Amino acid sequence: MKNSRKMFILIEAILAFMLILVTAAMLRARNGKEPDRIAVILREPDTSQWAAFKYGLRAAAEDAGVEVQIVSAEGQLSAEEEGSMLDREIVDGADAIILQPVPGGGTGELLEMIGSRVPAILVGCPSFGEGQVPAVGPDNGAMGAALAGELQKDCGESFPEKTIGILSETADTKEGQDRENGFVEALRETGKMIAWSVSASGQDEWKELLAAQPAVDIMICLDDSSLVAAGKEAAAGNLHGARVYGIGHSTEAVYYLDMGNVERLVVPDEFNVGYQSLTEVAHRLKNRFYKMKSADISYTVLYRETLFSRENQDLLFTMSQ
Amino acid sequence: MKNKFFEYLEKVTHGGIQSTIMLAFSAISIALMLILGLALEARFSAVFRNEVIQSTQKLMEQTGESLEDYLIAMRQISDAAYYNAIKEYDISGETQDIQKSLNLLYEANKESLRSIALYNHYGSLIAAEPVASQKEDPDVTRQGWFMRAMEEMENMHFSTPHIQNLFLDTTYRYYWVVSLSRMVELTNGGDSGQGVLLVDMDFSGISRLMKKINDENSGQYYYLCDSSGEIIYHPRQVQLSDGIGRENNRIEAAYKDGIYDEIFDGASRTVIVNTVSYTGWKLVGVLPEAMFAYGMVNLRYFLVMMLILMVMMLVVINRIVSVRISRPILKLNESVLEYEAGAKPEIHIAGSQEIRHLGYSIQKSYEKIEDLMKTIVWEQNERRKSELDALQSQINPHFLYNALDSITWMIEGERNDEAVYMVTQLARFFRLSLSRGYTVICVRDELQHAQTYMNIQKVRCKDSFSVLLDIDPAVEEYCAVKLILQPILENAINYGVSGMDDGEITIIGKMDGEDVLLAVRDNGIGIPEEEAQLLLTDNNRVHKHGSGVGLVNVNRRIQLLFGKAYGLCIESEPDEGTTVSIRLPAIPFTEENRLLLEKGYVSGREEIINKISREDSDEE
Repeated sequence: MKNSRKMFILIEAILAFMLILVTAAMLRARNGKEPDRIAVILREPDTSQWAAFKYGLRAAAEDAGVEVQIVSAEGQLSAEEEGSMLDREIVDGADAIILQPVPGGGTGELLEMIGSRVPAILVGCPSFGEGQVPAVGPDNGAMGAALAGELQKDCGESFPEKTIGILSETADTKEGQDRENGFVEALRETGKMIAWSVSASGQDEWKELLAAQPAVDIMICLDDSSLVAAGKEAAAGNLHGARVYGIGHSTEAVYYLDMGNVERLVVPDEFNVGYQSLTEVAHRLKNRFYKMKSADISYTVLYRETLFSRENQDLLFTMSQ
Repeated sequence: MKNKFFEYLEKVTHGGIQSTIMLAFSAISIALMLILGLALEARFSAVFRNEVIQSTQKLMEQTGESLEDYLIAMRQISDAAYYNAIKEYDISGETQDIQKSLNLLYEANKESLRSIALYNHYGSLIAAEPVASQKEDPDVTRQGWFMRAMEEMENMHFSTPHIQNLFLDTTYRYYWVVSLSRMVELTNGGDSGQGVLLVDMDFSGISRLMKKINDENSGQYYYLCDSSGEIIYHPRQVQLSDGIGRENNRIEAAYKDGIYDEIFDGASRTVIVNTVSYTGWKLVGVLPEAMFAYGMVNLRYFLVMMLILMVMMLVVINRIVSVRISRPILKLNESVLEYEAGAKPEIHIAGSQEIRHLGYSIQKSYEKIEDLMKTIVWEQNERRKSELDALQSQINPHFLYNALDSITWMIEGERNDEAVYMVTQLARFFRLSLSRGYTVICVRDELQHAQTYMNIQKVRCKDSFSVLLDIDPAVEEYCAVKLILQPILENAINYGVSGMDDGEITIIGKMDGEDVLLAVRDNGIGIPEEEAQLLLTDNNRVHKHGSGVGLVNVNRRIQLLFGKAYGLCIESEPDEGTTVSIRLPAIPFTEENRLLLEKGYVSGREEIINKISREDSDEE
């Protein structure tokens, strides 16, 4: 009798425990887990140069089941200002951060500050921290070298006679420096000297700056902003016949190539920069022991003649989103 | 661990009827619930799966219809442009009219239309809407839509989505369009010629439609491809082109309309294919197997919850049923256990008819057993009593015969005084023998009786032996069995000292621990050891002297009254003498004790002995 009562109570207790577990699991499944939120800090995120990158972020967020929030870092923020902005994002519930290197330095300190609280990854400059910091982006040095290669190929035997000017909006960032170094290193053997190298930000500033520079045969634009500015000036016939080669990833840059204002366009696969950086962070959020890896993203050299080939149309598709 | 569990299970199942019933009922209930749960789950899964597939099919049919509408709209625009504008006018002088007609068409459909353009067979632009600058040398003759229109003149040709790269767009944008091209007949200065009419529809129309059905984040997705498997729209289009993802589009494009189960990239999935009219495009819906499982999660949880609740309720019901069934049996068992333990409870009779019948049977059996026990005890006592009486009655004739024989000799030898003394002693002996008919007398009376007997025997034997008494007065007030010394004394005379001149018989009475010890010692010839053993066991021995009753008789009488622990003990040394000891329990001679012993109940004797023990310890 006593055994039977004990057994009855034991069975009922086990069943009640199972019921509680199942109910809790059902409620949890019904309510669902709040998706992780990843904050992406971009300077001027609404410009067309970020279209492919943002499309990549959205696609990866959908695949990984996370929420992505793009935060604008208005103007040229200092490391301290960007630090306080990141701090605000983390306090507001960001589970991870994706950010660009801060112009003028201080990115390392920022990453240290974030890294102890939430996972963070850098975009645009995989060489940052020499592999110690997870970063996803195109090989900037290789893109610079590709430009130099294209230039040499185009000019052929007349290359030594050509004068070159360099335009870069990101000259004070590691990304810009890598590109310039890549370009200069590739031309080192030729002994070619760079006539001038200028840096500016904003289209108006570029216009004035370009007008003030001595005429050159070749203009090398190391980022999208300077390329669009140079393309615009070329279209307006203000470059005294200078041929423009550059790196860009906006439809405007493609347009100037299409119109013949730009000779060659090296396009980093920004979709993949966005996609892979967010995928890395999402992996890290799902598995706290996952070590985020840096990745070099490919780039494509676009020629006007083959601009609308099937492969290039896929690239344009990401930029047009 | 496993063995322990089975041991415990065995213990529980063998533990009691209630546990067994409950365990059996619960096991059956749980098994039934599990089977029911699995069956329900399988049924619900199948229904859910069918419903999902059906709703997906419906959605795809609707989407297919919308796509067809989109394509029909394109055809209608193309037809209107051709029959209402191009065929109506001569391109040599009425280009403006053509332009005007195209403009009307464009304005009416500009939400979905990107451009309408008319080219001659050299690829030169004749008219276009909206009016825009053509890009420098677009060389349309090398573009797919132009070539297909020229190759298959009788058909309309739908292209896959591509960037429209014919006209300048100062907003720096590149539009994705689906091109419908057809060969048209142009009238040029009265002469007939060929040209190509191009209608570019904005791909965003298709894209929006596809995005809308792909909006549900439940795992399934839809994509559109042409008949060769070329992707027109896919929610992961860029991932596919970048090699991040894979799609089975080449194979699925070859499927006819219907539902297919396939394994792709190691995962099972169901694929629904719907062909879009006019183009041969395939609208493909992909339902991964995991999606069905995901959709069933809540239902599964609910089923499990319901099953657990039902099992809990069933266990409670089982418990109530098992208690109701087993309680009367358990109560009956308790009654029987109490009965076995010595109590005399009422047998519990309750429950179902069968159990009540069992209870009545057990009760009747116990009543019958009790009656039988009483009868047996009564019969035993009666038998013991009659046996005792029979043994006792054997003594008197034996002795009487000897005494009367002696008196006869005395009278014949004219020894009248001795005969008178003898008769007097004999009378006293018999008076003592009678002892008011009691079997149990006090030791003092038994000693006196023995003394009287020895007086008679001494006369008979002419004082050929002497009698000594060594009696501890303490023993005199204890109980003894009547006539136990006389047969021993008779044996001592007959087998011990007869024929001796200095025969000596000593009667001893003393305490030996808790017992009373009476002994008869003679200095006669003794008995060989083997014969001494037989004296107390062999009842059929042929006696040399006397009637044949003697020590065996005395021993049995003592043991009948006091138990096997008491009785006679014979010690003999040839030529030294024999001592016959009687061991009796030290029971004080009172009327109450006598009566209990006379009744012959074993329990009565033990009660007295225990009582004495208690009294002794109290005194200490």
